[in-house]
Amino acid sequence: MDPIILMYAIINGVLLGGIYGGVALGLSLIFGVLRVINFAHGSFLMLAMYASYALWTAFGIHPYAGVLVTVPLLFAFGYFTQAVIIAPLFKRETALVVEPLGALLLTTGVFLVIDNGVLMTFGPDVRSVSTEFASGSISVMSLPINIPRLIGCLSALLIAVGLAYWLRHTDTGRSIRATAQNRDAAALSGIHVGKVYNITFGIGAAILGVFGALLVPFLSITPTTGLSFGIKSFLVVVLGGIGSIPGSLLGGILLGVFESVASQFVTATSASVFSFCLFIAVLLVRPNGLLGRK
Amino acid sequence: MSRKILEVKSISKRFGGLQAVSNLSFDIAEGEILGLLGPNGAGKTTAFNLIAGFFQADEGEIKFEGKQIRGMLPYQICRAGIARTFQLSKPFGGLSALENIMVGAFAREKSRPAARDEACAVLDFLGMADKADIDANDLTAFDKRKLELGRALATRPRLLLMDEVVAGATPSEAGEMVDLVKRVRNRGVTILIVEHVMKVIMGLSDRVIVMEQGQLIANGVPAEVVRMPSVLKAYFGEGYVSGGEYVSASA
Amino acid sequence: MNLKTKNATATLGLPLLAITAVVPLVVKDAYTLHSLTMIIYFAYMASAWNFVCGYVGQMSLGHSVFAGVSGYVTVLLFTGTGLSPWGGMLLGGCMAAVLSTFIGYPTFKLKGPYFTLTTIAFAEIVRIWLENTDEFMGIPLKGAQGLVVPPSPLGWQVFQFDGKVAYYYIALALLIVMLAATIALERSRLGYYLKAIRGDRNGAEALGINPTRYSLVALSISAFMTGLGGAFYAQFFRYINPERNMGLDLSIDTAIMSIVGGQGTVLGPVLGALILHPLAELTRSYLGGRFLGLHLIIYGVVLIVAVLYFPKGVIVPLERWLQRSGKSKR
Repeated sequence: MDPIILMYAIINGVLLGGIYGGVALGLSLIFGVLRVINFAHGSFLMLAMYASYALWTAFGIHPYAGVLVTVPLLFAFGYFTQAVIIAPLFKRETALVVEPLGALLLTTGVFLVIDNGVLMTFGPDVRSVSTEFASGSISVMSLPINIPRLIGCLSALLIAVGLAYWLRHTDTGRSIRATAQNRDAAALSGIHVGKVYNITFGIGAAILGVFGALLVPFLSITPTTGLSFGIKSFLVVVLGGIGSIPGSLLGGILLGVFESVASQFVTATSASVFSFCLFIAVLLVRPNGLLGRK
Repeated sequence: MSRKILEVKSISKRFGGLQAVSNLSFDIAEGEILGLLGPNGAGKTTAFNLIAGFFQADEGEIKFEGKQIRGMLPYQICRAGIARTFQLSKPFGGLSALENIMVGAFAREKSRPAARDEACAVLDFLGMADKADIDANDLTAFDKRKLELGRALATRPRLLLMDEVVAGATPSEAGEMVDLVKRVRNRGVTILIVEHVMKVIMGLSDRVIVMEQGQLIANGVPAEVVRMPSVLKAYFGEGYVSGGEYVSASA
Repeated sequence: MNLKTKNATATLGLPLLAITAVVPLVVKDAYTLHSLTMIIYFAYMASAWNFVCGYVGQMSLGHSVFAGVSGYVTVLLFTGTGLSPWGGMLLGGCMAAVLSTFIGYPTFKLKGPYFTLTTIAFAEIVRIWLENTDEFMGIPLKGAQGLVVPPSPLGWQVFQFDGKVAYYYIALALLIVMLAATIALERSRLGYYLKAIRGDRNGAEALGINPTRYSLVALSISAFMTGLGGAFYAQFFRYINPERNMGLDLSIDTAIMSIVGGQGTVLGPVLGALILHPLAELTRSYLGGRFLGLHLIIYGVVLIVAVLYFPKGVIVPLERWLQRSGKSKR
C-alpha cells in the first residue's frame, strides 16, 4: 500500500493512541492502588464529554475552557463513588466473604446508572461540537496533522509526566504510592487509607475530566461511547501493564497504531475483533503486560 | 529396615536470584515420623512445596513408593497417595465442617453417602463429631487446624506432609495435636512434619533432618542432632558454638 | 457462611411451582402470558448461569454468546435443512458446550476480574464477527440484520405454536429441569468440588481436585442449558440477531438476577428474575417512552444495594424470615 497513507495511518494512530493511554491512566492508577477494576471508567469519560457538550450548547463555552468545570466535577464523582459506594465493601473485607468481585459488581452498577442516565437525559442521538478555535490541521512534512488530536496526545504526555512527578514528590503522592505497595504498613505509619483511596479515585476520574473535554472537539458522542472507551482502556492497561504510567502510554500507542493501520485493511469494527484477540492473547501469555508489575 | 516410601534425590529450586533449595537429598522410611527443622528462610517450606507439587523442582528426583512424582501437579500427587496441610488454614467457606472433610473423602469415594460416612469417621477420630454441622468459618482457630488435618486424612494418604500444625496453639492444644499425629502414624501413615516448636518436633519425630540456606546440614535421631555444632550454629550463630560471650540456653 | 436454603427452597419452591403451573388456566391475556413466559425464561437463564458461576465463584459476563450461538445454529439448521428446532436446539446446545470448552480452558486459569473481562472479550469477538458477516461458507448469516424464522404449516413439529400457552409450558419445563439439575449438583461430588475450588483453589488441588477439569464440566453443562434457552428465545420471537441474542446486555442481566437473588443456591436466580424482570417490564411499559433506559438505571441501583447489603443475595434474609416465622422444617 501507499507508504504515504501508511505513514499517515501510523501518525494518526500514535496521536489517538497517546490519547487512549492518557484516558487509561486513571484506570491503571485506581487498580494499582485500590486493586479495583473500575467497570465504569468509560462511563466517567462519557460524563465528562457530555458535560463539556452541555457547557458548549448552553453557555457557548469552548470545551478546552470547560476543562475548568469538568475536572472538579469528575473529581467529585470519583471521590463520591469510592467514598460512598465502594468503601463499605472494604470495611467488610475482613469478614472473609467471597468477594473478589464485589468491587467489580459495584462499578458495574455505577456503569449501568451513568450510561443509562446519560441515555435518558440526552437521548440516543449522536451529538457533536464544532468549534473554530484550535480546529483543523497543521501540515508537517506535507502530512495533515489534526490539531485537536495533537493537543490531546500532548496533553496525555504532559499529564502522565505530571502525575508521575506528583506521585513521587508530594506528600499525598507518596502516601498513595505507599498504600499501593502495602496497605497495612501504610495504615500503621499513620496514613489514612480511606482518604487515600477516595483521593486516588477522584484523581483517576479527574484525568477523565480533562480528556472528556479534549475529545469532544473531534469525536462525536453517543451514549455508547463510554462503553467502547472503557473496553479500550482495559485493553490498554492489560497491554501496557497494570499500575505502570509509561505502560499506559505505551499500551495506548500500540493499540492506537494497531487500530489505525488495521482499519486501512478491514472495517473499524472488524479491527476491534483483532483488538479483543490481542487482549486475550496478552492476558494468557503475559498477564503483567509489557511494563507492568503485579 | 522398612522400605523407603519417599526418596528425595538432589532436588534444587531457584527463585530469580535466590537459591531456595540446593542439592537436597533425604529418604523417609515407611511408618516413620520425620521432622524437618531449620531456622527461618532455610528453605523448609520450599522443600515441602516441591514434594507436594506446588513448585516444580529445577533438578533432581522425587520418588514416592518407587514412582517418580517430580513434575506432577498437586492434585495428581494427592491421587498418588500424598496429602498435605497448609500453614494458613483456610477452610472452604459456606460448607460445614463435615462437608469440608467430605471434599477430601470424595477423592476416594464417588458417592455422597460413602463420602459422608468416611467424613464422619474422620470427625470422630478428631474428636469433633459434635461440630459436624457448624459452618467451617465459625470454628475456632485450633479446630480449623484439626479440620485441615481431617480433610487431608480423608484422602487416605500413605504419606502425610504437615506444615506447622501447632503454630498459635495453646500448650494443651499442642498436646492434643501431638497425640493426634501419633495416632495418625499408628494407623499406618508415614509423616513428614515441618515445625518450629522444638518441644513438639523433638518429642514427635523418630528422626529429624535440619536445613540451612537451602541445604541439608544434619540427619539423625533428635537427641543427637540437637547437639551437633552445625545445627547449633545454624540456630544460634557462630558465637554460641565457639564458646564466646553467649550464655548457653537451658535444655 | 453456610447457605442453608432448604427452607426457602421447600417452602417457597413447591407452592411457587404449583401456582406457576396453573396460571395459564386462569390468565388468558396474551400480553400477560408473554410477560410471564419471559420471567420464566429469565429465571431459567439466570439458573443456567448460576450452575457454573454461582458455584465455582467466577463471574462470566459473556454467557450470552452460548445463547446466541445455539440460537443461530437452530435457526440456520431449520431454514437451511429443514431440521426441526426440537432437534436443532439439542445440536445448538452441544455447539455451545463445545464452544464453552474452548473458551473456558484457557480462561479458568485467570483470576477474578481478569476472568470476567476475558469472557466479555470472547463474547464480543463472536458477536462483532457475526454482526459484520453477511455470509460464511455459503451460509447466509445476514450480519446485523439478523435472521427471521419463517412461519411453517408444520406448526408444533417445528416448534411453532399459536398463542403463548405452549411456549409458557415449555419454558416452565426447561426451568424445572434446570432447577432439578442444580439440586442434583448440590448433592453431587461435582458440586462439592466446585464449592471447594471457590473457597480455596490451592486447598482444593491438594485434595486431589483438578480445578480446570471440574470447572469445565460445570461450564459445558451451563453452556448447553444456556444454549437451549437461546434456541427457545429465537423460536419464541421467530427472530434472532447478534445484538439481542448475544449481547453484553443479556449477559449482564442474567448475571445480576442470579447475584441479586442469591448465587450458589437453587432458588436464588429464580428470585432474582422474579424481582428484577417485572421491575424492568413495568418501568418500560409505564415510563419507557419518556425515560429510555430507566429500567437499567434501576438494575444498576439494585445491584449496588444488593452487593452492599445483601451480598449473598436476597434469599438470605428471606430464609431467615422463614425460619423465624416457624415454618422451619428442622
